Amino acid sequence: MPFNQKPQKFNAKINTVTIGSGDKTVSIGGNSTFPFYSFDAPTENTAKVGIEISDMGLEGMPESIKAFYGEAASMADIAKKAATVEGADFVVLSLEGGDPNGTNKSVEELLAVVKEVADAIDCPLVVEGCKNVEKDAELLPKVAEALQGRNVLLMSEKEENYKAIGAAAGLAYDQLVGAESAVDINLAKQLNVITTQLGVNAQKIVMNVGSAAVGYGYEYVVSTMDRIKAAALGQSDNMLQMPIITPVASETWGVKEASASEADMPEWGSVEERGIDMEIMTAAADLAAGSDAVILRHPESVKTISAMIKALA
Amino acid sequence: MTLFETVFSGNDAVYGLTEQAIDNAISQYGADKAVSFPNTAYSLPCYYSVTGVKVGTLAELKEALGVVKTLMTREMKTHDVFMSGVATALCAEFIEVLKYIDGAQPYEEPCYGHLADAIIRELGVPLVTGDIPGVAVILGKAASPEEAAALVKSYQAQGILVTLVGDIIDQLAEAGMKTGANLRVIPLGKDVTSVIHVVSVALRAALIFGNVAPGDAGALMEYTMKRVPAFVNAFAPLNDVIVACGAGAIALGFPVITNQADVARVPKSLICQTDVSKWNATSLEARDIKIKITNVDIPVAFASAFEGEIIRRKDMQVEFDGSRVDCAELVQSCDASEIEDHKITVIGPEADEMELGSKNSIAYVVKVAGKKMQPDFEPVIERKFHNYINCIEGVYHTGQRDMQRIRISIDAFNAGFRIKHIGEVLYSQVKNEFDAVVDKCEVVIYTDPAECTRIRHEVAVPIFNKRDERLETLTDESVDVYYSCIMCQAFSPSHVCVVTPERLGLCGAVSWLDAKATNELDPAGPCQVITKERVIDENVGSYEDVDEAVAKFSRGALEHVTLYSIMQDPMTSCGCFECICGIEPFSNGVVIANREYSGMTPLGMTFPEMASMTGGGVQTPGFMGHGKHFIASKKFMKAEGGIERIVWMPKDLKEFIKDKLNASAKELYGIENFTDMIGDETVAEDPETLVAFLTEKGHPALGLDPMM
Repeated sequence: MPFNQKPQKFNAKINTVTIGSGDKTVSIGGNSTFPFYSFDAPTENTAKVGIEISDMGLEGMPESIKAFYGEAASMADIAKKAATVEGADFVVLSLEGGDPNGTNKSVEELLAVVKEVADAIDCPLVVEGCKNVEKDAELLPKVAEALQGRNVLLMSEKEENYKAIGAAAGLAYDQLVGAESAVDINLAKQLNVITTQLGVNAQKIVMNVGSAAVGYGYEYVVSTMDRIKAAALGQSDNMLQMPIITPVASETWGVKEASASEADMPEWGSVEERGIDMEIMTAAADLAAGSDAVILRHPESVKTISAMIKALA
Repeated sequence: MTLFETVFSGNDAVYGLTEQAIDNAISQYGADKAVSFPNTAYSLPCYYSVTGVKVGTLAELKEALGVVKTLMTREMKTHDVFMSGVATALCAEFIEVLKYIDGAQPYEEPCYGHLADAIIRELGVPLVTGDIPGVAVILGKAASPEEAAALVKSYQAQGILVTLVGDIIDQLAEAGMKTGANLRVIPLGKDVTSVIHVVSVALRAALIFGNVAPGDAGALMEYTMKRVPAFVNAFAPLNDVIVACGAGAIALGFPVITNQADVARVPKSLICQTDVSKWNATSLEARDIKIKITNVDIPVAFASAFEGEIIRRKDMQVEFDGSRVDCAELVQSCDASEIEDHKITVIGPEADEMELGSKNSIAYVVKVAGKKMQPDFEPVIERKFHNYINCIEGVYHTGQRDMQRIRISIDAFNAGFRIKHIGEVLYSQVKNEFDAVVDKCEVVIYTDPAECTRIRHEVAVPIFNKRDERLETLTDESVDVYYSCIMCQAFSPSHVCVVTPERLGLCGAVSWLDAKATNELDPAGPCQVITKERVIDENVGSYEDVDEAVAKFSRGALEHVTLYSIMQDPMTSCGCFECICGIEPFSNGVVIANREYSGMTPLGMTFPEMASMTGGGVQTPGFMGHGKHFIASKKFMKAEGGIERIVWMPKDLKEFIKDKLNASAKELYGIENFTDMIGDETVAEDPETLVAFLTEKGHPALGLDPMM
């Protein structure tokens, strides 16, 4: 009996969101199939990969990443080098140094870093906050103002500070809004609802629905992304049709599999390989579950995941 | 003169001046001369946003004036007044733009005149977030520099952006007050036409933040009305021109408050308040502005970290004990006019007039008012008091209603904590957490023993009784809507609770009133309205509306749910149910086990084993999760005959629900002491012994039809 293919057709699709301005832009979303189901309908945009750098420079980075960028690199050098990594579609600048419970850099200091990085590269740029809701509410509107015209994606808009970040990024300075929720379909939807009620165009929202490193309660991530895609496509729920971007590096590099030294864990093998493996495994799982873009840190992971996406497209 | 005539005459006067000014400019510079405001991409922002047409030259300005003339209809309708107000505003903009010809700088320190786009983008974000809760436009001359300064400072203290037009600018300088955009006090200009520069801000905000298309006047006015929290304070005397400008403000949704006694009043829009010291409160109420409270003004810390703190007798300064003396805590909804916001009164002795270690009376009444406030929310707010007071460092609270107990520690007392600070805490927390329903809040704390007795017995207890009565009479039939609750979906993705008055959420924590309040406070949140208009079968409790809601909120995982049957499409469970009931075939009845019960049930299953069949949002006919209080409900498995099917439950649970269950059984079937007929673990843990016991007691379930 011949194989009779029955494509699973949906009348809805994920919004296409284009990040960046000028000649170099990148589009995510736009598909009307489950992840990598290119046999059901043509793929509008393949998944994209971002490479993450930090305002802290190379401080606290794994040795292998320090080795790649070179010890004495300036933020501009780091950004330029990141932009040239094979398979990187965009650069992500994390402003983790702003965290009041950490280095607590001032908004002015961070803005100087943002400008230095933005001036150094012309590829699409994504900016992550410091994860402290009050500080982000103060910091990210300033970033939105400073980068007018660049059409950057500002991550870290949460329920607690959505007004400040949503209004600045989505309304005042015409950037893109990254709505962040904690692995729960209803919370993800609710944040999209209130952000659009603020007046932000739904087509300018990208979701970060939360993640975990594989093996660390990761089933919740799969189920959440899966259900979001099912609701967006199967039920045409337009408050869940925003593309999903998932920061991977910030989850994986801190877990013991990636960080335990070879001296402590000789039987686990090379610490560099373990770190890269955790990043690759988590990113692959995120993409298979429904992420339209992932954010990675190691050049090797970026290259591998990008190759995987191309091979499956 | 009527308000109509005043506005029309003011409008005509300004129009005449504008026409003359434009003609003069044309004869001086020629019709092709460019006109523009500096640093804006929106041409003449007011004219552009209202008409969608950009004006670049004097000739075009003259043409635009013709368009303005068409707005100046005189048919003595409200619409004519509003449009004439808008026309006056546009004329003002034309007069102002002429001042900027040839790149002139018509305004000098401290006045700003036209405001750049960049300032609007910067102010827009805090306006959207509520960090700038409102915009005051103050016009004219106060009775004295002190009065002017006091008014401006009152707004400044609330974070409200103040713009100034006219002599008040000099008065503030005289009073020694600093002004400037960084201080949120912006003097615009001395001429009344300079008021257009704040209107220009409001309209550009609509274009930038509201995505309003230029020329869509309807959408523009809707945006300013709903989203720009501005209002006008105009000092007497008012002339026709100011009144005409005021009509323009009202057209945009901005109320005007004045102290001109003989002004023609328009409810909610043109308000006379002769006492200028009350302008702040009057303006905020008229424009529906709520001030965010950022810090709780008490001498000790306030945080959830202190919630579990226990204060021992030896560490205690004073205590209040409702079980020994008269105490009460109460939320009372009142009319807004009866309440002075943030007023805190202590009637009776303060903590420092009480003896160390003494037991005292306390009764606090939190009066609230709000357009969306409902008496049903009173207990919902009141229940939070325990949490609020416990979060105070060095203060401990247990109990509720007239049985609360409070201790204040010696350390807190020495740090300056007094009884009035309890009022501060209650005020700030109620205003913050319930801002969607509470507009105004006042706290009265009684410590005078006689007053406490009066409040407890004459005020509080009658209200508590009334509430209990309301709860008892609140039936599924007596309400128009039910609520969904999907708070647990993070753990149980396809589960949806349908919360009705007689069937609270299965966790036991969400009653119909809670769900109703949650919906009001958080409209996009986990509790949504479910209508019950299309009945399928009243007996089993199935409705098309309920099915649709369940299908929607479970994202298609469930299609049918009945409210009162455990056999036909029973309601699902997340996993956090207080109890599970399951059918017991030998007796035609059901067995109920509560989470705390660790033993065996006559079903041969323990609670965890029953739970494994029930949770996860799956429908398992014959098994159902529910709250403890649902057991005594007349709706408990009503489709299968109701509570007379209950044949077994653990002894503790039986004790807990006994009174209510007996009352319901009496009412439904005329059975006295029904719980005595129900078995427990001391009677039987296997079906045979149980049936023998039931037979001996004459349990009604034995005579009922089998459930399957």
